[in-house]
Amino acid sequence: MFENRRGFLLAAIAVITLPLAAQTTSAAPRALRIAAAADLQPVLPDVLARFTADGNIHVDVTYQSSATLATQIMNGAPFDLFLAADLSFPQRVIAATLAEEAQPITYARGTLVLWTRNDSRFKNLSMDSLRDPDLKSLAVANAEHAPYGRAAQAALKHLGLYQQVESKLVIAENIAQTAQYVESGNAELGLISLTSALTPRLKVSGHCVVVPQDAYPPILQGAVIVKRAGANSADAHRFLDFLMSAPIQSQLADRGLAPAK
Amino acid sequence: MDLQALALTLRLAVVTTALLLVIAVPVAYWIAFSGSRLRALVEAVSTLPLLLPPTVLGFYLLVLLGPRTPFGRAWIQLTGHPLAFSFTGLVVGSVIYSFPFAVQPLVAGFSGVDTALLEQARLLGASRLRLLRAVLLPLTARSVLTAAVLCFTHTVGEFGVVLMIGGDIPGATRTLSISIYDQVQDFAYTQANRTALVLVVISVAALVLLYSRRRHGLSEARHG
Repeated sequence: MFENRRGFLLAAIAVITLPLAAQTTSAAPRALRIAAAADLQPVLPDVLARFTADGNIHVDVTYQSSATLATQIMNGAPFDLFLAADLSFPQRVIAATLAEEAQPITYARGTLVLWTRNDSRFKNLSMDSLRDPDLKSLAVANAEHAPYGRAAQAALKHLGLYQQVESKLVIAENIAQTAQYVESGNAELGLISLTSALTPRLKVSGHCVVVPQDAYPPILQGAVIVKRAGANSADAHRFLDFLMSAPIQSQLADRGLAPAK
Repeated sequence: MDLQALALTLRLAVVTTALLLVIAVPVAYWIAFSGSRLRALVEAVSTLPLLLPPTVLGFYLLVLLGPRTPFGRAWIQLTGHPLAFSFTGLVVGSVIYSFPFAVQPLVAGFSGVDTALLEQARLLGASRLRLLRAVLLPLTARSVLTAAVLCFTHTVGEFGVVLMIGGDIPGATRTLSISIYDQVQDFAYTQANRTALVLVVISVAALVLLYSRRRHGLSEARHG
């Protein structure tokens, strides 16, 4: 009985681990691991599809807030490339001597928009909608650590609206969650990223106006190549060059990320 | 140290635990004693919140409580604002999130009670409420306490659901776990460590107190 059980166990272990072993021994494509800011989630998959089209490389992407990713990299997370939503988080990685670059590479510029659902009461959406005394809630990202949240706060202050809307703010952890707050109808208006607003889902369910560009410091998005033992530096460079190439930069622009220069 | 967040967290945990006990006792009673064919289904559904990742559960609650569902619309009609981003909304979320932690210990406790004892009490003319208060709950005091402690601590440590439906509003929805998360995100590790330490010390002290009382209470029940 014991022998049988042990035999069964061994067989089970073999069945479970065999495919793994097979995977590692066959000619596996090279792997690139990217840590990407949450606002890239609607944009990056199509870029990666083009990058990996030849089948020689496999890319894993982790989408998180830039702050979380920076912390993870500084604590040894095995990423090869960090695509942040601003310059301060890559600078932290540089300060920790974990980046190849001395300065973050600006790969895109984010755009802040005011968004509402089509079935909300704001039919003629404009920045003046924020002055509506009956406005109940405005979703923004956290101004302390989310780049779009920082931009939203700066814009509201610049437009002289901050005091008026302060008590109506609902604060999301990152820009993707800000979009969820307003897309689900729980918040009436939201200051979200143009990349979110241009996703098929939000395009159908709502509409937006672009926040005046001079109302907030530009949301420059920076990248660094992570320096660590065993990092796939060569492919990280290749992808970054690909990302900065003219056709990809124009593809990003169509999806809400303006060219860096 | 965010005292406002600490006070809010304790208030949320107390309200949630009290509500959960009121709701879970009849549900657990029904699961343990009804013998209905629906029993397994009800028990399975009551376990669901354990299965879903908290942020996913929070996302569904956000949608469910929002103005796109009849329930959400009715709530907004009644109160003028959505349930999300309010303390009441957090209570609703926490009650659902911790429901299994209230029901499971109670079902286990109730199922262990000798049904002959309940039958005798019934024959002696005890009403259902009296049966519960005078026989069942004292016999299962340990399970009730376990349920209460689990609900309380689970609510104090709750993060994903609050993150999704809270909106990080000081005094209303910024709980201690959100406060710690924010501090970590801002690289304010010293502050975060301090807050986490306070949370752990208070929780351990409360649990030690509770568990020492529990042993005391049990020996009383045994001798009494």
